[in-house]
Amino acid sequence: MAENQLTDLAAPGIALLGLGVLILSRRRRPTRVTALPVLAAPPVDRGTAIHAAKRLNRAAGTLAASVLADSAVEHYRGSFHNKAMFAPLVTSALSLAVSVHGVADKRPAAHWFRDTVYVVAGLTGLIGTAFHIYNVGKKPGGMSWQNLFYSAPIGAPAALLLSGGVGFLAERVRDNKPGTDPLIAGLPAGRVVAAATGAGLLGTVAEAGLLHFRGAYHDPFMFAPVTIPPVAAGLLTNAAYGPACSNRRLTRWWLRLTALLGFAGTGFHAYGVARNMGGWRNWRQNVLNGPPLPAPPSFTGLALAGLAALGLLEDNPDG
Amino acid sequence: MPADPFAAPRATGGRAPDVFRRGGWVPMRQYRDDDTVDFAVVGTGAGGGPLIAGLAEAGFSVIGFDAGPYFRPLEDFASDEREQEKLYWNDERVVDGANPLTMGGKNSGKAVGGSTVHFAMVSLRFRPEWFRSRTILGYGADWPLDWREMWHYYGRAEKALSIAGPVTYPWGPKRPRYPYRAHELNGAAQLLARGAEAMGMKWTATPLATVSAPHGQSPPCVYRGFCRFGCSTNAKQSQLVTFIPRALRAGAEIRDLAMVGRIEVGPTGLATGVHFHREGRWRFQRARHVVVAGYAVETPRLLLASANGQFPDGLANSSGLVGKNLMTQSNQAVFGTMEQEVRWYKGPPSLSITEHWNYEDRKDFAGGYCWMAQGPLPVEWATIQTTSRGLRGQALRDEMEKYNHQVGLKMVGEMLPDERNRVTLADDKDQYGLRVARVTYSWGDNDKALINHALDQMQTSLEAVGAKEIFRQENDTNHLAGTARMGDDPRTSVVNADCRSWDIPNLWVCDGSIFPTTGGVNPSLTITSIAMRTADRIRMLAKRGEL
Repeated sequence: MAENQLTDLAAPGIALLGLGVLILSRRRRPTRVTALPVLAAPPVDRGTAIHAAKRLNRAAGTLAASVLADSAVEHYRGSFHNKAMFAPLVTSALSLAVSVHGVADKRPAAHWFRDTVYVVAGLTGLIGTAFHIYNVGKKPGGMSWQNLFYSAPIGAPAALLLSGGVGFLAERVRDNKPGTDPLIAGLPAGRVVAAATGAGLLGTVAEAGLLHFRGAYHDPFMFAPVTIPPVAAGLLTNAAYGPACSNRRLTRWWLRLTALLGFAGTGFHAYGVARNMGGWRNWRQNVLNGPPLPAPPSFTGLALAGLAALGLLEDNPDG
Repeated sequence: MPADPFAAPRATGGRAPDVFRRGGWVPMRQYRDDDTVDFAVVGTGAGGGPLIAGLAEAGFSVIGFDAGPYFRPLEDFASDEREQEKLYWNDERVVDGANPLTMGGKNSGKAVGGSTVHFAMVSLRFRPEWFRSRTILGYGADWPLDWREMWHYYGRAEKALSIAGPVTYPWGPKRPRYPYRAHELNGAAQLLARGAEAMGMKWTATPLATVSAPHGQSPPCVYRGFCRFGCSTNAKQSQLVTFIPRALRAGAEIRDLAMVGRIEVGPTGLATGVHFHREGRWRFQRARHVVVAGYAVETPRLLLASANGQFPDGLANSSGLVGKNLMTQSNQAVFGTMEQEVRWYKGPPSLSITEHWNYEDRKDFAGGYCWMAQGPLPVEWATIQTTSRGLRGQALRDEMEKYNHQVGLKMVGEMLPDERNRVTLADDKDQYGLRVARVTYSWGDNDKALINHALDQMQTSLEAVGAKEIFRQENDTNHLAGTARMGDDPRTSVVNADCRSWDIPNLWVCDGSIFPTTGGVNPSLTITSIAMRTADRIRMLAKRGEL
């Protein structure tokens, strides 16, 4: 019984990682990007950039924690019948560890080990997604609803991709020359992170939508993750392309609501476990069998990344 | 420990068992024998259950009688095949004919909730053409019901039973989405799918009456595999946990361990109530209407046994058709052994299905059939080995060691109505002192042609997935139908489209007995849909003053 997991579709994560790899070799230029509608303003100070980077490390860590717990439970359920099923546990644990390190780190430069771990985590997520797609496709019926419901969840490894991607972006934001705006691939960092996070949120919504459809939306609260986060994604995307330096109070509060939803989701899933035969008294079976407890905080991780991006956008003229 | 459900009735003293709580009770309205209730319904299964609930919810006073006990699923259902035989109607019957039926688990139930307490939960719709099989397909008899109306009631029944089915169903006209998603396919179901794909046939996850996500007080199915027995988690949406609790909430009374032995008909030619045996004595319950819902053997038995001076051939029998046109469904199987593990006992046994030959008419016999994946539990499997293959001793032991690798396909096939297949009364008496049913059955040439075709097709499918040591189980049958058929003409049918008997306007029949043809799918969903329609029709007739 492959089980519900949460998280994202591959595409946004892959795009994010590709973007990250692209900019590894790029040097930040002190020039403005004139293609985007920006207002002239003084450059951002270093402290702000580091603060934003730490917030992104925190978001990457939250996503990594969600993946660690989720893959541990689900792959244990699958008896680790393939050795590769240990990979997400190792890489998400490392991603979590370096994220903690990043949150505590006050220095302005990117750290090579953090960078390496984030890239490896992202690649693991990418390969995992391919494995899960293969798992779906080899069942009779191929890419059918039935197999999308019950085979290895395509969206789950993408959360690792997102963790690596967000962490990688954190390093880019931190690795900022004094007196310049944080840029990623020559684009304002806040805009890049906002756009990527918006896409990641939509992917996560798709996964939650698929698995809640499998659960027939039997509880009206199951509609929450397919209604609240899409609005957050929309607001964030709007911020990514809109004017900088404006106070986006609605977006900020909506992202906070989405972050809260991630935690509330774990609570709802705990109730869902209770509705299985034997409830929590039979936890050893029902934690595996019921809705996945660690999955919903993926929304929290993405919302935190969105809030960091929003901070950059609001504080910086350009990003 | 709960009290023995067979020792004394549980639904007494103004309360009935709460099937969702250990030792729990729910309040129940009770009537006195000399109260004249609006409806006395005999039987609480797929036909009786929805009707009792529907009538009570419409404001009628209703009593549902069942000869079986009122089980508490959380307490009474052991994971033991032999222990679970208590759910079947194993009272004495006489069987004869060229192909005598094996009476028991496959075709009866004796419990509140009827055979739905142990049914395999397969919930399929008839092919629309079957409601006009005489006119359109050239065999059997036409139903007096329109398929489009049935499509509406099928949808309602599926909703009421929270059927877990595929997102899209590959055969027949469009149907609404099933309320719950289909269950995960087990190894046996995947092998059916691969075989069907190799033969170029469509297949799908089987719509099942067991929930794949929580519903009310039912937890999702835990894939325990004791699915053709009592479900000890209440995931199975039997009448016992769906319509019967609804009926109680609406004010109906359920009388368990209450065997109805005779319907009383007054000098005006109308039914006046039922004689029933409970707690060691015979009593009489007055009623304005009597509904018989005892399935294809007990229903004609009761109608025939209620004969009186005015109706010497039995009630509702002016056509002479009560008890005639008994139909069963062919339930042959092909089994084999796979190199890899299959573990077919995991989860419900019929998780995938192909209805290919129900919708394909290019064949040289009448009727259709489907086949489904199988998962017999060990005792049943050993029984198949001894009866179908004659294995004993070491040979049987060796065969049983392959249990985890075995795979099978089993058909549900349409047998044609034949007046010679019938239920009559034997001279033997049962424990209530009532004459037992004599069940006479012989397969016709068409039935045999259909079975042979199906066995060949299923064997081809198993060969296509690489099964070895293939053998055929050639003599099995299951569900029943007929014996009180519905129709448009009082001369050729027992009841009309509303399940109302032509002869006695306050006597109704509402179960599988009313089927003019039996179709090539499991009948329970059709029975339930018709019962829901009948409840609606009675409400409408009452409003018009035609009751």
